[in-house]
Amino acid sequence: MKMKKQNLIILIIAIVVLFGILPAAGSNNLLQMVTLMCLYLAMSQMWNLLGGYAGMLSLGMQAFIGIGGYTLTILSVQFGVNIYLSIIIGAVICALFGLAVSPAIFKMSGVYFAIGTWIVAEALNVFFSNWKFVGYAKDWSINSVFGMSTRQLYYTALVVAILATLIVFVLLRTKTGLALMAIRDSASAAETMGVEIYKTKLKCYVIACFMMGLIGGAQYMQTAYINPSTGFSINWTIAMTFAVIIGGLGTMEGPIVGAVLYVIITQIMYNFPGMSNIVLGIIAIVVILLAPDGIMGTLYKKTGFQILSPRRSIPKVGETKAAE
Amino acid sequence: MLQCIITGILLGGLYSMIGIGMSLVFGIMKLTNLAHGDLMILGTYITMVVSNALGFNLVISTIISVIVMCVIGFIVQQFLVNRVMDKGEAPALLVTFGLSIFLANLMLKIFSADNQLLTNKMASVNVITTPVLSVSASYLISFIVAVIIIVGLALVMQKTNFGRSIRATSDDPMAAELMGVNTKMAFAAAMVICMGITAVAGTLVGSTFTFYPSSGTQYLIIAFGVVVIGGMGSLFGTLIGGIVLGVAQLLGGFAFGSGVQMLIAYIVLLVILALRPNGLFATSAVRK
Repeated sequence: MKMKKQNLIILIIAIVVLFGILPAAGSNNLLQMVTLMCLYLAMSQMWNLLGGYAGMLSLGMQAFIGIGGYTLTILSVQFGVNIYLSIIIGAVICALFGLAVSPAIFKMSGVYFAIGTWIVAEALNVFFSNWKFVGYAKDWSINSVFGMSTRQLYYTALVVAILATLIVFVLLRTKTGLALMAIRDSASAAETMGVEIYKTKLKCYVIACFMMGLIGGAQYMQTAYINPSTGFSINWTIAMTFAVIIGGLGTMEGPIVGAVLYVIITQIMYNFPGMSNIVLGIIAIVVILLAPDGIMGTLYKKTGFQILSPRRSIPKVGETKAAE
Repeated sequence: MLQCIITGILLGGLYSMIGIGMSLVFGIMKLTNLAHGDLMILGTYITMVVSNALGFNLVISTIISVIVMCVIGFIVQQFLVNRVMDKGEAPALLVTFGLSIFLANLMLKIFSADNQLLTNKMASVNVITTPVLSVSASYLISFIVAVIIIVGLALVMQKTNFGRSIRATSDDPMAAELMGVNTKMAFAAAMVICMGITAVAGTLVGSTFTFYPSSGTQYLIIAFGVVVIGGMGSLFGTLIGGIVLGVAQLLGGFAFGSGVQMLIAYIVLLVILALRPNGLFATSAVRK
């Protein structure tokens, strides 16, 4: 255990140094790629918190990316609010929205929850497409972020990624984390022992919504234009799900590995337009069929390797269903 | 108003056609097929390709599409779903999600993002035309086909040995297996029937509305809505679910403008889901 802590500290120092010198050493292209990795890492980390630890497979997290993006656009373009302030306000709105829809969607479990959240996102898509104030379904360029340097975008994404990882890391080591794992392993036993399932899940959900809002804002700082069908696109969820599946559902390292792989694969597939999601779909299916624990989950089973995940037992993907 | 309700009911027939395959598969395998919408659109494209390329009429093209989709259903069941069925809910859900992504983007690659419509004579013909009411032939045909298929399927399920074996598998796979039912075959049969019906639904959808490769999501949600309102696994509930959703959508469009009619349908669906998480007409034993 001591060994583990030492490893962790060395790793953190190495990562900080690496990310610190990256803007100075790397090319713009590399920097952009790492920025993307950071954003997808943050998204996957949050999706994993819900799907892997809290047993809530959500297919509707794009709702919050869209809200985050639109809040940034509306506040900074229309009202001239500071960009970072707009992003934070967007995240708060996301948290409130998540709280507002939770009484409805928390009644559902398992696949009902998955599709319920998806319907919420689709409903938002239709709503924004019919909203005159946001220019219906037209592209809206976010001109307030136009002159931002690559370095600035990189640091924003880095902060978001670190925040997301840190939140999951700390959360899993608090009482809530213990409660989550208890729910995952046996919901009824946990409830008998006094774990408040609803409250615990709600806490995770609101945190994830808040972070998704931040990520959405940071993401649209880069994209610099927004429209409802890309803002609320299922592609966001595809990315998160993919990263978590190949990385390893219910591990903390999984989303990191998965997000890095996701960005690399999409960059490679960039030269073959339209092929990217086809390949991702195939890879995801193959991984579920052959190694349902993902890369890090399988690695852990074989070698016991883990750095960040707190774990008291070997996780089984199938057990997330018990945590409904 | 009357127009909306009548059209809504007829549209509901179409919706229940979309949902029935999903309901069947869920009822029997406890599997929610997230690729259902995309598979249906695939069926629509197959019909389109066959009728365009070979110049067959729509009925023959549909039959070919049904056959192809049955084969695809069998392959999907045998090589994907059967392998993850016993690994729990999450892997099964995610495999079909992966399939959905794959299919939607494959169709996008092959057929491009253009809107398509299955050209047919019915779309422009009205069966009833009065100042207050007009009924389009394609809506009416969809409705009639839906009712025939649902009644037919219900009869097969109730009266034949084949139907009994499927229902037995649905109630208790292990007991059914002990009684000599080949449950894997029952699953495969269910998936094949589901895909066949879905291919018909695809043709009906394609001849009523424009479609494009990413329409699948919309129809998945409709299918899910129909099934949830009707109660997962209940056949006649599916018909009622379709009608509820269709009427809600058109009345919503009537009241708030046609742009938001899907929004109204979604909201109705969410409210129903929140109030009755197991469906309005959940007749069979409640299963999550």
